[in-house]
Order: sequence, then C-alpha cells, then structure tokens
Amino acid sequence: MDRNNIIKWLKFPGEMGQKYSLHALYFCTGCGIIEIPPTITTRWDAERFGVIPVSTPRQANLFLITGYVSVKTLRYIIRSYEQMPEPKYTVGFGSCPVNGGMYWDSYNTIKHLDKYIPVDGWIAGCMPRPEAVFVAVTHLWTLIDKGMANGYKKYREEYKQYRANQEQILGELEWPFLF
Amino acid sequence: MVALVFETFLVVLLACIIGLFFLGLARKITARIHWRYGPPVYQPVIDIIKLFNQTSMSHGVLFELGILISLAGSVVVLLFLPFARICPLSSSGGLLVVLYLMLISPLGLALSGGESANPNVSIGISRKFLLAFGYEVPLLLILLAVMTHYDTISLSEIANKQISSGWSLFQLPLILSGIAYILILPAVLGLRPFEMIQAPQEISSGPYAEYSGKFLAFAMIQHAFDLFIGISLFVNLFLGGAGNMGYFFIKMIIVLIIMIFVNAVFPRFRIEQAIRYLWTWPASLAFAGLIIVLVVN
Amino acid sequence: MDNNITLLSEDLASSFDDIKIVFTDQRMIIMNCRKDSVISLLSYLKNLRYDHLALISCVDRIKENAFELIYILSAYTEDVVKGGINLIVKTELIRDKAEMDTVISVFENAEPYERELHELFGVYFKGHPRLTRLLLDREYPVPPFRKDFDTRKYVRDIFDNVPSVEVKKLKNERT
Repeated sequence: MDRNNIIKWLKFPGEMGQKYSLHALYFCTGCGIIEIPPTITTRWDAERFGVIPVSTPRQANLFLITGYVSVKTLRYIIRSYEQMPEPKYTVGFGSCPVNGGMYWDSYNTIKHLDKYIPVDGWIAGCMPRPEAVFVAVTHLWTLIDKGMANGYKKYREEYKQYRANQEQILGELEWPFLF
Repeated sequence: MVALVFETFLVVLLACIIGLFFLGLARKITARIHWRYGPPVYQPVIDIIKLFNQTSMSHGVLFELGILISLAGSVVVLLFLPFARICPLSSSGGLLVVLYLMLISPLGLALSGGESANPNVSIGISRKFLLAFGYEVPLLLILLAVMTHYDTISLSEIANKQISSGWSLFQLPLILSGIAYILILPAVLGLRPFEMIQAPQEISSGPYAEYSGKFLAFAMIQHAFDLFIGISLFVNLFLGGAGNMGYFFIKMIIVLIIMIFVNAVFPRFRIEQAIRYLWTWPASLAFAGLIIVLVVN
Repeated sequence: MDNNITLLSEDLASSFDDIKIVFTDQRMIIMNCRKDSVISLLSYLKNLRYDHLALISCVDRIKENAFELIYILSAYTEDVVKGGINLIVKTELIRDKAEMDTVISVFENAEPYERELHELFGVYFKGHPRLTRLLLDREYPVPPFRKDFDTRKYVRDIFDNVPSVEVKKLKNERT
C-alpha cells in the first residue's frame, strides 16, 4: 500500500484518489450480501482501506455484484450502473456472476454478467470470505495503477453491443440510449 | 484593506483544513470506539481529491447554483467569528447577523434539492429545516442572555471580555444558558442523536443524495465549515475564545471529542421527538437563564 | 393429543362423507377430498377454529396426469397452541384442464398463493380478482414448474445465445 508516497500523489493524484477512496454501492443483489456486513464492521474492517458503503449510486465508485443475478435484478443493476459517475469499477462477487454458479441451469438467472455490463474483476467462492474482498480490493489497486481497470471506457465504446444484449434478455428498455 | 483580504483568506483556509481534519478525526475516533482501526486521519482529503477527479452530473443551472450558495453562506458566517483575535468583519453586527446568516446554507441545499427530482432529498431538506426550527428557539434565548450580560453584540468583544473575567460557562448568571447550549450542541452540529438529516440507511443521505463529483466535494467542504462554525461559536461564547491559535485549537478539539463520544453511542431521534425535546428542556433552561440575567443586570 | 385427533377425525368423518383421512400423526392430519367440496370443507374447518391458511401448494404428478393441490391449515387459539395440529387438505385436478374455484371467499390471504400457482404451474382459479404475474419477469412457453419444462434447453436457447462483447484494443492504455 503506497498511500504514504507523496511523490506519487503529486504525479498521479487522480488515480491515487480513486484507489484509496472506493465508495461501494450498498446494493444487496443476491445471497452474497450476507458477507458484506462482516467485512465493513469491526472484525474485518474495510474502512482502513478507504472502502465505505454509500446508499446512492451518485456517490459511489465501486459496484459489488454479490450473488446471483435474476432477470428482474439485472434491470435495476443496469439502471444503477448507468447512474454512477465515471470512473467506476465493477467487481463480480461469488461464482454466480462468473458463469452461473449454482444456478447454471435456472430459467430465471443470467449466466455471464460480462455480456451485459463490463466487469473489472471477479472473486471466486460461494460465498467468498471477507479476506477475499480485501485481496480483490488490493488487486483492483494494481489494475488501476497500470491503467487496466477501464470497464467504464469499454461500456462507452461498445455501448451498442451491450445494449443489444440487454434488450435481447430484458425486452424493450424504458430508458433511452446513454451514449 | 490588504490586511483584511489577507485575514479573510487565512480564516477560510484554516477553517477548511481544520474542518476536514475534524471530519477525519471523527471517523478515526468512532472507529477506535468500535474496537477497529479505521481510516487514516487525512481520509477526507483523499475523498475530496477523488471527488474532483470524477464526472459531476448536473441537473441544471439552479442545481449548481444551489450548492455554491450553500458554500458561500458558510464562508460568510466564518468571517464574523473570531478565531483567536483574527476576525475580518468584527465591527459589523456580530451575533445578530450570525444568527440569520447561519440559515443561508440550508437554503442553498434546498434550492439544489428542489431542482433534482429525488423525493429523498426533499425529505432530508424538510428535516434539516425542522431541526433548525427546533434549535433556533433555545439558541436565540441563549444568545440574548449572553448579549445582555456582556452588554454588546460583537463576538470579538465578548471573547475579549472573557479574558479578564473568566469563562462564561462558570459565571453565575450564565450557568443555565451554558448548560442549555451544551444540550443543543449536537443538534447545531448535526451529530447523533440529531443526525436525522443525513440518515444513510433511511433516506439515502438526505440532501446529499444527488450530488456527485465536484458538487459532492463542495458539499463535504460545506459540512466541514458547518462543523467548524458550530464549535467555534460555542468556544467563543462560553469557553473564552483564546488569545493564540494553539489554545483555541485545543479547546475546539476537546469539545469535538466529547461530541464524538456522544455521537458514537447514541442512535437517531425521529424529527418530532427531536423538536419536542429541543422545545422543552433546553428551551426552558435557556428561558430561566435569560430571566436570571435580566434580573441580575 | 391423540384424544384430540381421534375426536377430530370422527367428527369430520361423520359430517362429510366424501373425504378420506389418509394419514394421522401426533401433529398432523392429511385428508383427501374432491375438488368440488373443498370450499365447504375449508369453511367448516375455519369455523371449527382452524382459521389460518398457511400455504397453498401444488405437486405435478405427470404420470397420473394430475395436479395435486395442497391446503395447509393451522390453529392459533389458546387450547391448541401447545400442541398445534396442522391440517392438510389435498385435492386432485386434471392436468390438461387445470381449473379450480378460488378460496378467497373463505380465506382472504389465499390471493398471492393462487397467483403464484397460476404463474408457475398454469392452474386457473375461477373468480380470482387479479391473476397476473407475481414473481417472474417474463412469459414462458410452458409454466416453468411443470415437469415437462426442459430447463436446460431453455437456458441453451435463451441465455447461451447472447453473444460476448468484442472489445477492440483501446488507445492510451498504459500497460
């Protein structure tokens, strides 16, 4: 953790700020949200990494998709994701966003979250322990340093493909094109 | 003239730095009370650097104007409060002006909150105004008592007179007013048990729900100014605002730490419980204090 | 408790002549009845003090070409609360033409249960005020809880057909 590195703060203030102040949107997606309260309270303290939960997408930086994504939830995940200001990072938490996980043959969950919103990193597990959240946060820091955590830029460039995929699953969407 | 401009910039800069330090110190102390480590003390600075790096979603001209009016209202109140013998506008009105200028920042938040179409924001703004309505009654009685006792409305004169005659809190006519002020101080600062304006779990951050990017940074700085103003007013009126800056800073930190201890332990009141409390106990104590001061003088 | 159950069984057997007590236990009586007499049986049991409808469930018996509707009742009054008995009433419907009268006139809280069964099994309840979608977000060709709904084929057709997003290499990537 190079939070004390003043030279780096002066050279890249934007990235250092994004790294050490990740405000996570407290959107309790699926069953994985049961692992988030232990992470942000006393026993495994996430606030020393700068990660605090906020309640509105306008103030959030980091979107943790915890657990399975049913079709109804996908509609609201997309709306919340589009309301967040850029730069924003998405982390798929658990094995259900990766490839369907335990619900791989369910008629009502989507199997690959990557096809609908851009995802920067995945955490494997069912459910991952709170230490896995910290490993993910530190790995996200290295990605931000190298400039590889650019899911929001992918969304901006390839919006037509994402929108086509979203409409294929959800039907006609009520909100207009974002870009 | 040049000295006035220099003093203005110095006071605003110092209030910003000290206010942000107080916010970080509050988070650190709360974390330690919870038996965990917490963020570093300079975490609000990191938050503001990040927020200036983010895109800001604007809802129109009035939305951007509202947060600027709110920030400007807080800065204007700062210029009337003496900060250890530095007081840029010490000869223009004093306490009466402070009392009504303190309401400009909620008005600015209400303007931008009306422009953004979020019902949570309107609930938060109505709670903020109701809470201000609640604590203004005892606050006015306390200020009247202090002004009558010292026979002046200028804050720097009140601070200077306490150097010779001792703290206001320990002077016999003003004890009841001092106790009443301690009872309403969490409401003025917006800390628990009166934190219902910014309840993240209920109304998703109240008035601050639609700010992002630089507007949220301004809102955080305005919150830091509000904290500074609330504590500085109390220290100047009742704890004998000091001669040099270090001593003033120590007094402010002690008041802040006591308020943070109360903040970490209490849950939130509802708004009708808060107003019922603020209009009975502190108001009656302040009224009794005013009667005593009028009788003695 | 045994006393209570035997009393109840005899009472029911004497009042209604077309129900069959299938299974009794210390805490449970399961009875079968015909589809037309469900409402009168449920109102009789409600007056008898079993006035809480806990659940309406359904089993798809595809080999016998029938749906089996299950009504679970329980009692919350003083004398039975220590050893409460659950009453389970089962009826059978024909699978190809699954229709049933609604029990909202007896128990008002049957409305969401019947909506759920209509959405997931395709059972039509006559007289229900609002038979619309409750839990799911889309229409399915076959109601999804039936045993002849092939979930893997549905997943292959709908969810695996969504293409992955092709990403061109972005400029200004500092690796």
